[in-house]
Amino acid sequence: MTTGAPEPLLALTDVNTFYGQAQVHFDLSITVGRGHIVCLLGGNASGKSTTMKIILGLVKPRSGEVTFDGASLISLTTPQIVRRGIASVPEARRLFADMSVRENILMGAFVRSDRDAVAQDLDKMLTLFPKLGQRLSQRAGSLSGGEQQMVAMARALMSRPRLIVMDEPTMGLSPLYVDRVLELIRTINQDGVSIFMVEQNASLALEIAHEAYVLQTGKIVLSGPARTLKDDPRVRDAYLGGSEAA
Amino acid sequence: MSSWLDYTINGLIVGNVYALVAVGLALIFGVSRLINFAQGSIYLVGAYIGWVAVVQLHTPLPLTIIVVAVVAAVVGLIIERFGLRPLQNSVRIAPLLATIGISFVLDQLVMLTFSPNPRALPSQLPDVRFQVGGGTIGPLDLLIAGVGISSALLLFVFLRYTKLGWAVRAASQDRDAAMQMGVDVNRVNQTVFGIAAALGGVSGLLVGMYYNQIDTAMSLQATLKGVVAEVVGGAGNVPGAVIGSMLLGLVESYGVAVFGTSYRNLFAFLLLVVVLVLRPNGLFASARQAPPEPLTGTFIAPSRPVRIPRWALAVAIVALAILPLLPVSFYILQTLINAWLLGMLALSLTLVAGTIGQVSLGHAALLAIGAYTSALLSLTLNVPVGLAIMAGGLMSAALGTILISPSFRLRGHYVSIATLAIGEIVSLVILNWESVTRGPIGISGIPPLSLFGYDLISPASVYWFAFAVMVVLALLQARLLGSHLGRCFRAIRDDDIAARAYGLSLNRYKSLAFIFGGFAAGVSGGIAAHLYSYINHETFNTQQSILALTVVILGGLGNVVGAILGAVALVGLPEVFRIAAEYRILIYGIVLLLLVRFRPQGLLGTI
Repeated sequence: MTTGAPEPLLALTDVNTFYGQAQVHFDLSITVGRGHIVCLLGGNASGKSTTMKIILGLVKPRSGEVTFDGASLISLTTPQIVRRGIASVPEARRLFADMSVRENILMGAFVRSDRDAVAQDLDKMLTLFPKLGQRLSQRAGSLSGGEQQMVAMARALMSRPRLIVMDEPTMGLSPLYVDRVLELIRTINQDGVSIFMVEQNASLALEIAHEAYVLQTGKIVLSGPARTLKDDPRVRDAYLGGSEAA
Repeated sequence: MSSWLDYTINGLIVGNVYALVAVGLALIFGVSRLINFAQGSIYLVGAYIGWVAVVQLHTPLPLTIIVVAVVAAVVGLIIERFGLRPLQNSVRIAPLLATIGISFVLDQLVMLTFSPNPRALPSQLPDVRFQVGGGTIGPLDLLIAGVGISSALLLFVFLRYTKLGWAVRAASQDRDAAMQMGVDVNRVNQTVFGIAAALGGVSGLLVGMYYNQIDTAMSLQATLKGVVAEVVGGAGNVPGAVIGSMLLGLVESYGVAVFGTSYRNLFAFLLLVVVLVLRPNGLFASARQAPPEPLTGTFIAPSRPVRIPRWALAVAIVALAILPLLPVSFYILQTLINAWLLGMLALSLTLVAGTIGQVSLGHAALLAIGAYTSALLSLTLNVPVGLAIMAGGLMSAALGTILISPSFRLRGHYVSIATLAIGEIVSLVILNWESVTRGPIGISGIPPLSLFGYDLISPASVYWFAFAVMVVLALLQARLLGSHLGRCFRAIRDDDIAARAYGLSLNRYKSLAFIFGGFAAGVSGGIAAHLYSYINHETFNTQQSILALTVVILGGLGNVVGAILGAVALVGLPEVFRIAAEYRILIYGIVLLLLVRFRPQGLLGTI
């Protein structure tokens, strides 16, 4: 925890995760401050996606602690964790392909029972993602990748989360949509939602993040404010191809 | 019944009954990717609960339906909670096997409670028939149609307009993503099992009233028909299951109209095989929805097999070979002869299901082909028995492989369904091909075992013969597993796409496995025919296929010694403990359930 950072919303402390015999995380510690965008960088098989699964309770660590707003998540199931206020934008979107766009977005509000407010939030989503308005009754599986990403983000927002975890939100999108998605993440964050995102595209992620961690074969090798990391020669060498490219 | 309209009405009514079973199967498959082989047992329970309500408690019809639905739903919830939920993180084959075990247990419990004799389940509606066009329709027909249609509507409303219904749909499309929306998948599973069981139970009640008769054989039939209807409509597709059921009802009804009652099931299974071959995703699934089951590599439990030193095996073989010379009772030899016959079948199945990963549920058909070939050759053409048994083995190898070959392109659960259907088809062909197989009368007076002109009558000589044949087959199979061919088989089991990418022709290797396995099973069937001296189309039934599968899992899939050990254990232990025959199937079911739960790799481990 760096000086001046607010009390963390999410904290992973000394997490060790195993798949069978293979260890995926080695004493992993990460904090996400309130109102911050934190990104986790790393190459293939560095344990990024597993970190997301740990937060969501889809995978349980062998040792270590995960707390959200001061309370432990270790013994909670995924649905219980979602009810605590964590939403997700999974890798490759994972929409419910045979349900309509409207149904997909409303599935995001599954944990809520305030029907009227949910209906209002749906309208809010349509102002935030105006393109989805014409697509509401379409099968979600028939949308383009970028549109699906919008649906996935809207779906995550519908639970009124305090934290959204995103797994490679820009993966496989056209450059136009990449910019749009990053812009939206910033907007969402400005409304008070903290963001924890896993990314391979370091230069883009560091553009919008407050803090960043670099994960290498299950260990945090670098961390700090995004601004500092961006100029760190080690990050530049490993991820940014030596020169500024964003 | 005379007019085509009558056959159409009958087909649609029967279709409604199938739909009640198939919709439940589709819901469960959608959420858990599981074919619930216990669905027919719940249908059976529904019929008997209905009998208790109507005959003993004299409940009025609406109350009868409610009682049946509620009790069946409770049974479904219990199955889900205690039979399947503990297996959530187990290998993919485990829940499938568990539902088979559960169905054995439930069927036997019903049989033990109510006796195996059929009972009359009177319809609680007046017995009148109305003229409709050129056909007639009765109040019970209308009730069945009404229950079928209103159930479909209720289900539609539930899935489309309720929160839990949305959860069911979301979970069936992407289980993990649904959990990340806060959906409690266990609750969804419970819901789906409850609904499926309630519909299945009511279906059993209605069928019982329709035919005014219930018996325990209904269970397997219902499962089979439900599975056919569901797969025809596209596994996991609820509206597809309804349409598939109607289609199945009509095909059967018209088949009966043209060829006669004994052809009903033959048409059902032919429809299934045709659909599996031409459109394995069902008639109503679009190509996009073709998710290959993610079974690769995780279908059977990986494990380190127990190593048995060669000298120990040699000692065991010698000891078992000299056993008849010792003062052992005729009874023990008899039991072991049965174990050796089952052992040959298990060798066959452990190769096909364990080594190359094609979990066959129709293996008894290979016994039947071998038995009929050998019996008919020796009876009608006076072929010496030894040669006839060899010919039986070869016929099983050839015919079995040809019959199974349409299922070579299928994977996982679909192979099991296809082999189950092909097994049923073989038994139905035997029943209906009277000019060759003598139909339902069966074949009697089959000459006893003999070798080079000497009759093997004494128990010791039969014992030696069966034991020697089994040991030879086992040694051949062990040799095969250690060879390049055995490695190819296992490669296909563990990852068929990778195997194909390395240039293995899947069809060729699957054929080789079935040829070898078919031979072993055919020889076993042939010996059995000469031993029993009488066989008919029911001598080798699905129960034996499942028993063989239990043996193979008990021993460890793919494990040669395990197959034989499993056969000795499952044939021998009930004898040792003098368990009455009617409890044996129950024990087999419980053994299967315990194995799947606590030792999926079997006693000696999978190879």
